[in-house]
Amino acid sequence: MKKSKGDLLQGTLDMLVLKALALEPMHGWGITERIEQWSENVLKPGQGTLYPALYRLERQKLIRSEWRITSNNRRARYYALTPAGRRHLAAELDNWKRMSRAINLVLEAKTV
Amino acid sequence: MENPIEWWRRFAALFRRREVEGGLEEEIAFHIEQQIEKNLRQGMAPEAARRDALLRFGGVERTREATRDEYRPVLLDGVARDIRYGVRALRRAPGFALTSVLTLGLGIGAAVCVFSIVNGVLLKPLPYPDADRIVRVLQVSEDGGVTENVSEPNFRDWQAETRSFSAMAEIAQGLVSVYGSVEPNRATMTLVSREFFNVMQVRPIVGRTFAPDELHEGAVPTAIVSDAYARRLFGGARSALGQTLNSGSTAFTIIGVMPPGFDYPSRTEIWMPRELEPEQTSRTAHNFRAVARLAAGVTLEQAQREISTVSRALKAKYGEDTWMSDATVERVQDRMTRNVRPTLYLLIAAAALLFIITCANVSNLLLARAATRQRELAVRLAIGAGRMHIVRQLLCESLVLCVAGGFVGVLIAYGSVHGLIAIDPGNLPRVNEIVVDWAVLAFAFAVSVLSAFLLGAVTTLRIGRRDLRSSFTESQRTMAGGRQSQRVRDGLVVAQIALTLVLLTGAGLLTRSFLQLLAVDTGFNTDDALVLDIALAPPANDGERSRNTYFRERLLEELQSLPGVTAVGLINDFPLGGRWYANGLFIEMTHPDEIRSPEDFDRLGNVPERVGSAGYRSASAGYFRAMGIPLIRGRLFEPGDGPDAAHVALISESLARTKWPNQDPIGRFIQFGNMDGDVRGLRVIGIVGDVREISPEAIPSPIIYTHYRQRRNAPTQFSVVVRGPRPGNIAPAAQRVVRDIDPTVPVAIRTVKQAMEQSMAGRRFSLVLLGVFATAALLLATLGIYGVISYLVTQRTREIGIRMALGANRADVLRMIIGKGAMLAGIGGGIGLVAALAFTRVLQGMLFGVRATDPVAFAGVLVLVSAAVLLASYVPARRASRVAPSMTLRD
Repeated sequence: MKKSKGDLLQGTLDMLVLKALALEPMHGWGITERIEQWSENVLKPGQGTLYPALYRLERQKLIRSEWRITSNNRRARYYALTPAGRRHLAAELDNWKRMSRAINLVLEAKTV
Repeated sequence: MENPIEWWRRFAALFRRREVEGGLEEEIAFHIEQQIEKNLRQGMAPEAARRDALLRFGGVERTREATRDEYRPVLLDGVARDIRYGVRALRRAPGFALTSVLTLGLGIGAAVCVFSIVNGVLLKPLPYPDADRIVRVLQVSEDGGVTENVSEPNFRDWQAETRSFSAMAEIAQGLVSVYGSVEPNRATMTLVSREFFNVMQVRPIVGRTFAPDELHEGAVPTAIVSDAYARRLFGGARSALGQTLNSGSTAFTIIGVMPPGFDYPSRTEIWMPRELEPEQTSRTAHNFRAVARLAAGVTLEQAQREISTVSRALKAKYGEDTWMSDATVERVQDRMTRNVRPTLYLLIAAAALLFIITCANVSNLLLARAATRQRELAVRLAIGAGRMHIVRQLLCESLVLCVAGGFVGVLIAYGSVHGLIAIDPGNLPRVNEIVVDWAVLAFAFAVSVLSAFLLGAVTTLRIGRRDLRSSFTESQRTMAGGRQSQRVRDGLVVAQIALTLVLLTGAGLLTRSFLQLLAVDTGFNTDDALVLDIALAPPANDGERSRNTYFRERLLEELQSLPGVTAVGLINDFPLGGRWYANGLFIEMTHPDEIRSPEDFDRLGNVPERVGSAGYRSASAGYFRAMGIPLIRGRLFEPGDGPDAAHVALISESLARTKWPNQDPIGRFIQFGNMDGDVRGLRVIGIVGDVREISPEAIPSPIIYTHYRQRRNAPTQFSVVVRGPRPGNIAPAAQRVVRDIDPTVPVAIRTVKQAMEQSMAGRRFSLVLLGVFATAALLLATLGIYGVISYLVTQRTREIGIRMALGANRADVLRMIIGKGAMLAGIGGGIGLVAALAFTRVLQGMLFGVRATDPVAFAGVLVLVSAAVLLASYVPARRASRVAPSMTLRD
């Protein structure tokens, strides 16, 4: 298996899912598509981890789900951000930005 | 976890598993289809598109599992899985499961059934507000005896001088005949004093309680009736309101109807104000009972102290004028259930024994099963299942069994509670409150869980201690299950036999008592006779008095002329009736006019050899013939003994023997006017046989019979005995006779045999229950022995084969196997005998005519148990003796 690409940092999948849902409610498939697309096919969340993540987030009341009919007339479970999820996402993003800046600072530090 | 709601949601999700997974299933399918479509759009061949989609998804099953894990807490899921596993395992062994569930159902059912009785009678508070604060105030007599009844002046002093009670009322109950716009009927009427409804704190559902201007002598009579009575007479509470009924010469208007179920005291149908009648002034006329409500903040003990102080002061003040030396308080509910408590405790003990026996029985089944599953369990241990996990799983399995057993038990209890009430629990109070309700269901659940832990404990001890890994090394040739396990199973059988013996002995002793009781010579003939209970209105004047006399005479005459009737007689208090049997002191006189005044009576009353004590009865001559009470000496009443002739009396044999030993009582004079208000002396003209009046258990009491036609206050409430073959056929005609003479007089007819049975109903009730329990126990113990012995035979088939090949014959094998059963029975029987001796001593109070160590009962039980053991071991032993050596050696 290709190992280097597409593997996500522990804990970041939840954030990506929330981010993907920030725009509009989506089904599981849509979420993977959206993440792949945005990451220019670098990030490919394994479905084996996506659905557990969705159930986990739902249990934490960060997202909620409902069954809807898709544009091509199929039944699918759509996930949407809850207000708590939106707040959580904002906090996570702040955190991420601070962390990634810090990491960048370290990595780009001039070595003597 | 964070909050209970979250917990509950997860818990509920366990049972919604299918739904959750269904959703997930569909979601995954959708996802894969979307991927396939995308692949197709990108130009893949259909087959490749599909394969790629599945590949990308990365393991449908793994996803499913991982998602589920997100959804459920791990431990609960484990339990749920174990329970499911348990159900599956039991489904694979339906015979075992069915036997266990039915056995457990029997034990749990018995326990639940007894609990529903105990709950309804003893535990549930009476249906009145703060019912535990309602008490009876009881008089303590000089001899220390506690009596229900009190005299009115003493009651009034209690009321005036105590502070512990917020309300106190007197009550007096009696049977009355009611007529008017309705079918004549007999009703239970209670006279209640002013405060009664404040004591009970129950108000009528329609109408009102008595108004102050209805509470004095000469007021317009009003009444409050029970809901049941209102329904019976008028079809409903509302239509009863304002109706007028007659009792005797009194017409009363119904002003209120009590709520359904309210019938205090004991099945009252009509309540009327006690204040309508004149106040009583005698401190020795004990005509009322007292009921009171504890004042707020007062404890039973405080009330007890106060009433005792007040009563002792009253005694000091009035001396011989009152017979009350002290007083005591007791909660109404405790008082009500006092007589049945020993019986109920007995039933609880019996049900507990049966329950333990069933648990022991099923434990044995489980152990046998565990033995056959050793390999399975060993394999599971070997592939990494934790010991705890296996224990948990076994517990879950017994839990499944026990919950199913509990379910069966509730069904059994539900069915049998109605059956029980149908077999007539005799004087059991609050029978209509015996139902299978939530408390009973909760109890059933608790008992099921308890049994699960008992069963689990036994099996786990075995499994837990034993090193299962050694099962691998054990070959089939060794005795599977091991010696130790066999010992536990033997122990369980021994326990079952011992407990069964205890139960059987109890049942045996009660049966013996019952038979003794049936064989008791009550002094009268219970076959082929009817008894009519009649209540006339107490006469208010001479006109009514002569109308009553006319009624009695006509009644006796016309009943006598009915075809088939051989004898007819009248008595004021019929035996076995549970009625009040009046008794008092009489004085022997030297001549009929020796006593002319109360002073004479008091003076002679202080001369011990002049005084005697006897029951007072008013009877006709025909009564003795109709009841088959023999005339021992002298003569019975004769037509010449009219009201104006010298008054005569018959005495019972025991009175003659105790009062006039070695003398002739006939011709002696007796003054007994204190009983019927007629001061004319009585001459003894004959001695009649003794009668066990109150019940067959009581020793015959001394009785003086007066002639109902002579005394001034002839009885208005009386019974008429009609003897004739096939009394059931005479009953309708007898009923017609009464109606033809006076349609307003209600009559209750039963056979003397029924009256006799009724008087023993309570005893029969506990006997039937204990008998059923004991039979079930014997059955289970027999099955238990059978199970152990046949298991043994199965395990030792090879050994038996070898023995027979080496020359043992069938008899040897039979002896060996039956010997094993006999040994178990011997040990169990020995322990059981000792336990039974201890246990049956508790029964002493309920026995009649046998001692708690009655050898007949013990011997009978031993024979029964031995027979059962022999039978239970013979069947498998026979099978063992048929073993063909070649067969066993071959496999």
